[in-house]
Amino acid sequence: MVVAERQKAGTFQVLVGKIDEVLQYAIGDPLRYLANWGRLYSLWPVHLETACCSVEVGAAAGSRFDIERFGTLEAFGSLRACDLIIVMGTVTRKLAPRLKLIYDQMAEPKWVIAMGACSITGGLYFDSYNVLRGIDDIIPVDVYVPGCPPRAEALIQGIVLLQEKIRRMPTLSGR
Amino acid sequence: MKMALETEYSPDADRIMAVSLGPQHPGAGHFRIRLWLDGDYVVKALPDAGYVHRGEEKMGEYRNYIQNVPHLERPVILDSSNILFAYSLGVDELMNSKIPSRGQYLRVIMSEINRIISHMYFIAIQGLFLGHTTMITWCMGDRDFWIDLGERIAGARVTFAYIIPGGVRNDIPEFAIEKGLRTCDWFEKRMDEYEKIFYDNPMVHQRSDGVGVLSREEAVAFGATGTVARASGLALDVRKDEPYSSYQDFEFKTPVLTQGDSWARAYVALLDMRESVKIIRQALKRLPQGPVRLKLGPQPRVPAGEAYSRTEAARGEMSYYIVSDGSPRPYRLKIGVPSAKNLRALPHLLRNVHVADIPVIYWSLNYWPVEADR
Repeated sequence: MVVAERQKAGTFQVLVGKIDEVLQYAIGDPLRYLANWGRLYSLWPVHLETACCSVEVGAAAGSRFDIERFGTLEAFGSLRACDLIIVMGTVTRKLAPRLKLIYDQMAEPKWVIAMGACSITGGLYFDSYNVLRGIDDIIPVDVYVPGCPPRAEALIQGIVLLQEKIRRMPTLSGR
Repeated sequence: MKMALETEYSPDADRIMAVSLGPQHPGAGHFRIRLWLDGDYVVKALPDAGYVHRGEEKMGEYRNYIQNVPHLERPVILDSSNILFAYSLGVDELMNSKIPSRGQYLRVIMSEINRIISHMYFIAIQGLFLGHTTMITWCMGDRDFWIDLGERIAGARVTFAYIIPGGVRNDIPEFAIEKGLRTCDWFEKRMDEYEKIFYDNPMVHQRSDGVGVLSREEAVAFGATGTVARASGLALDVRKDEPYSSYQDFEFKTPVLTQGDSWARAYVALLDMRESVKIIRQALKRLPQGPVRLKLGPQPRVPAGEAYSRTEAARGEMSYYIVSDGSPRPYRLKIGVPSAKNLRALPHLLRNVHVADIPVIYWSLNYWPVEADR
């Protein structure tokens, strides 16, 4: 008797699981796809210039390279509305706590691009007393754009790679 | 004259509000200003620099004279040739080397190209802060023509590393001379358009006339250099006062304005670029033949001694003090940068102004935090 009830409950759970799976295929996947598609063409970067790579970001936002074609807007003031940090170069010991603070204030989902050799490994300043050897010790990095400074085309490629990552994001809520 | 740091304020007064502007802010990247506000007016402002201090001077002590070239141009990447120009002049003076005249001319050409690149960035962002979007799109696009010219000559995009101790790194290709002359012709016409759309624009006049006025006496007292000093009526120009390299061969003027406000500081940059175009054209037309550099080797031996050299960079006077003890590495390397000199005027200029005027005044000083922090 008890066994039969258990079997009945088991089949019910399996049924629920099946329905869940069907719903996931029917609604969840298109919804996730739609949300990710919306996210990837409207990346709002934080205006955080950390060092000299900001010149190349300026050039990339200019009329020749025009990064807006690829769905990244101009740098924006409010952190709450932003979902992308482009760390433009060297992060010093004085700036590092600020970078963490800024990252923590942003709303999920959020992504980080480490631009330039300095933000990846310390670059030319690897033996300086005041420079962090890469930012991945303090915040997680999604895309690395190497160069010193990277050309504007390299930054655009980094953005496109990040969009590819966002397109394949498995969950609706981010990370 | 009362300096801004001496103004009295009481933090206990409940009208005064302390606000931190930066380091993340669309008007002050890698730089913070601590503000004390009374309503919409700034009572006191203290700049907080040092977010990009990378220890360039200390690093210079454990790299040899040639290895120092790449990292010394990074502090002011907009104006990378002029900061290396001063360094190379100092090392040349220590080594007593005589640079061939073609190398001298190429140094001048490259440093003037870089002056234009730097000023274009300056007026582009000044346009952005004044709400003039045309200026940032035009200037950022046109700036790339000059970067392209520099790339044809030196081989890299913004960090040219072209001027090195002993001359320049490589000779100019033949087609770059023609391209340079064409760029000069086109750019002179283009600058007339800038004047029409930006400098004669009533909107720009309303937003920057009389904003952040630095008088001549104050400019002297604060030790301002470069565009800031020239906009306040001080005819300071190292190229004229103490001609280095081959600047005595060229005809050019030092533009001086007397208003001393934000508009004048932006306009001096345009006048500077007109003179730079003249210099580039003269130098390209009269480029002498011969070698471009001396053979120094990868680790040059520099005799013991000390040298002080200065150049007129885009932002003002760039100076180096190099002490050598005869070893392959410098014993001491001191960089005197114009941004740090002009920053002294900021607390004074940001007194009794509206909050809305802060970005315009801040950027009109042509302040580049990476350069000031070294």
